[in-house]
Amino acid sequence: MSSKSLTLRNISKRFGNVTALDNFNLEVGVGELVALLGPSGCGKTTALRVVAGLEHQDAGSVSVGDRDISQTPAHKRNMGMVFQAYSLFPNLTVEENVAFGLQMRKVSKHVRLKKAHELLDLVGLDSQSKRFTHQLSGGQQQRVALARALAFEPEILLLDEPLSALDAQVRVNLREEIRRLQLSLGTTTLFVTHDQEEAMAISDRVGVMNNGVLEQIDTPDALYNKPASSFVASFVGTMNRIPAHITDGMVEIFGSKIVALKRGNESGEVLALIRPESIAVAATTQGNAKVLTRSFMGASSNIICQTADGTIVQSLMTSASTGDLLPGSSVQLRVLSSEVLVANV
Amino acid sequence: MKRKFDLPLTITLAVLALFVFIPMLSAFEFSIRTPVKGGYGWDQYLWAIREEEFFYYIIRSGWLAALTVVITLIVLVPTMTWLHLSKSTIRPFVDGISLLPLVIPVVAFAVGAQISFPEFVQDTVLELPFLYFVLALPYAYRTLDIGLNSIPLKTLTEAARSAGANWWRTIITVIIPVIKSAVVGTVAITFALSLGEYTLTVLLHWDTFPTWVTFVAQENILGAIAISMMSLIIPFLVLTALTLIAPERSTQGRK
Amino acid sequence: MTPNVIEGGAPSRGRASLTSFLKNVAPALPLLAIIGFFFLFPIFRLIYVSFMSNENTFTLDNFRTTMQEPYRSGFFNSIKIGLFSAAIAALPGAVAAYFIESRGPVKLRRTISVMSGVLANTGGVPLAFMFYAALGIQGQLTKVLKFFGWDIYAGRFSLGTFLGLLIVYLYFQLPLMIIVFSPAIVALRREWAEAARNLGASQLNYWIKIGIPLLFPSFIASFLLLFASGFSAYATANALTIGDIALTPLQIGGLLDGNVSASQINLGKALGVVMIVISAFAVIPYLAIQRRSARWQKR
Repeated sequence: MSSKSLTLRNISKRFGNVTALDNFNLEVGVGELVALLGPSGCGKTTALRVVAGLEHQDAGSVSVGDRDISQTPAHKRNMGMVFQAYSLFPNLTVEENVAFGLQMRKVSKHVRLKKAHELLDLVGLDSQSKRFTHQLSGGQQQRVALARALAFEPEILLLDEPLSALDAQVRVNLREEIRRLQLSLGTTTLFVTHDQEEAMAISDRVGVMNNGVLEQIDTPDALYNKPASSFVASFVGTMNRIPAHITDGMVEIFGSKIVALKRGNESGEVLALIRPESIAVAATTQGNAKVLTRSFMGASSNIICQTADGTIVQSLMTSASTGDLLPGSSVQLRVLSSEVLVANV
Repeated sequence: MKRKFDLPLTITLAVLALFVFIPMLSAFEFSIRTPVKGGYGWDQYLWAIREEEFFYYIIRSGWLAALTVVITLIVLVPTMTWLHLSKSTIRPFVDGISLLPLVIPVVAFAVGAQISFPEFVQDTVLELPFLYFVLALPYAYRTLDIGLNSIPLKTLTEAARSAGANWWRTIITVIIPVIKSAVVGTVAITFALSLGEYTLTVLLHWDTFPTWVTFVAQENILGAIAISMMSLIIPFLVLTALTLIAPERSTQGRK
Repeated sequence: MTPNVIEGGAPSRGRASLTSFLKNVAPALPLLAIIGFFFLFPIFRLIYVSFMSNENTFTLDNFRTTMQEPYRSGFFNSIKIGLFSAAIAALPGAVAAYFIESRGPVKLRRTISVMSGVLANTGGVPLAFMFYAALGIQGQLTKVLKFFGWDIYAGRFSLGTFLGLLIVYLYFQLPLMIIVFSPAIVALRREWAEAARNLGASQLNYWIKIGIPLLFPSFIASFLLLFASGFSAYATANALTIGDIALTPLQIGGLLDGNVSASQINLGKALGVVMIVISAFAVIPYLAIQRRSARWQKR
């Protein structure tokens, strides 16, 4: 069964007084992996559950390909879903769990167990096929859950924070595995997470959500370099906010005049949004800032400085070039890009 | 969350309510009858309270139950804390033994008690708290076990000890507050069980509030009904009030 | 993972095992002492004495007598009432527990939990009163039923009959079922129902393949505990019957009181031991099943 596209149109959903989704629109292309990223309560999980049919939307429609499934009950939607944790059936073995979707589709026992083993092999757990959930580690359980979701070749794959409950190292390995599987099977995938590193690392596009609204949906690169709003700018990666004044479309930062990229009506006193890697720090006798701390992170180091007017500025440089920057030393800060984003104060 | 009217739940509750309250209310109605004057009144309740034995027996059962609770806490909390911390090999054994009273019917236990203890034990009413302790043990142990499992016991103990507290101080000032709800649960179960214990008490020929009620029934049945009502409804109301007032904990919550 | 701290120096083997024994056991001694003296000692003594004849010689006669009338009927009736009261209470209790735990708001669940605790402990004279008031000859409910044409006392019914006892036992068996079975319902994770739906299972399919298989062992275990509860009940039977129904707890009570004297003075002990054995047949499997279920019920 080949994958289809997924479209959400004008979805609204309220829980009591709380609006979880407000006129939400999203389109995921065939074979694409789109992540919904945002803080708790932003509506990303609600959107996913509406797609799955586990929540019913108040308004709007959901389509798979050109088929409107808005009123289709959850168990007929033919989507595979991986939950955050604890979703494997404890009374069934690993292979029975994986074969469950096929069993519901009346596939014969022999065929479905064979398919289950195929998938368990893909996630490297064929040896555990006769075990039960409580005998597996968290990472193993999630891999079984993934196999189970894909066993019946769903048109859409849904992932609800599948890695949030796992250890850091397991998380990194498993997210690569998810991406690998998704690419080889070509399944249209919607992936919900609050971890921006995760979303950026494996997605084709990432949608940043806040308070039920999709603030920006773009490739990871575009989100990082051209955040459409202040929220996106600070949610994705670290961002410096340096007070400046716009004159003739330019701002002066650390002595240089730089083009100010306005998104709206920003004028007068603004905050210039600059990534740490776009700020250079150099040791000097009478600089425009003082070093507060230096964090050594291997290849690169994070230098946190404070300017004369009290602004905290973070810079990311190679460790080699920052060896002599001790706390308290005087430094000169310089902006490396020729244009910066600005936002209202 | 679904706000719509839940029919199956409502029906279930309605049936349960009928089943529970019809006998209770019937008895209540009997207890407020005043056959002499005709009509209704609180006569029987007033009579009961004025009986000098009423308060005598309530207090008697009360302090026996309180003593049971004290024994339970003093013995179980330190011992179980130690069991959880030390990874002792006898822990499975103690876990198992704590369940044994469930297996033994109280009547059989009563027979055994009657023929075993030396005279000086059988002659004192103080044997009762220890016997009640045994009866309540499976429930008390389990409640405390769950409570101790749910906290970072090792870390807390090490923090307290490294700050200079000795064992008793650690238990009283650090551990008990942290497992407060488990302790409260243990106290409630043990106290309730001891207050209401009838079979063992009566077979060992002791008299406490429950056995006194039975005795009163022989002479003044309406009065006995009134007393029974009080002994049922008051703990019921108190516990319900406590439950409703207590802050909600998220242990049982669904996502 | 570091091994447990080894105190400096290597004591001789004899001393090592003594110190390690003390370390391993000593703090639990107060608890074990109390349990040992107040619980294990009476039980062992009971078993020992049950094999004693009137002349203090070993005998099996006490046990032979337990298998004769009227004690045989006593066991038969007690087992019967245990089984029947458990059977009647089990399914309604399970269903009630399901609706309350899975759909009730928190306050309701808590209130029911407390109520069930109090009701499950209700028994003896207070309980008898309540049922006399409701279903006795002059009872309120009796009058209501009579009004609708059903005279429950037309036949040989009374609260002191087997059927009467059964009805009264239901009053504490049902709440007990709710208490014992609710944890299993609570442990059913929402994710399982949702995953099942997502994978294509209808509600019915979910229950058949996942829900009921998971709940069934706990259901059986709860049934067993209810059996033990009904089988061993003394106070309520004592309050309701006038000695015309043979029930083991009452027979033992009679022998203890000296109201009934048996030629074999240790007969009551033997009856007690048989009671323990029967009860164990129910409670031990109950504990075993609960233990196994705990594996998937951990939250």
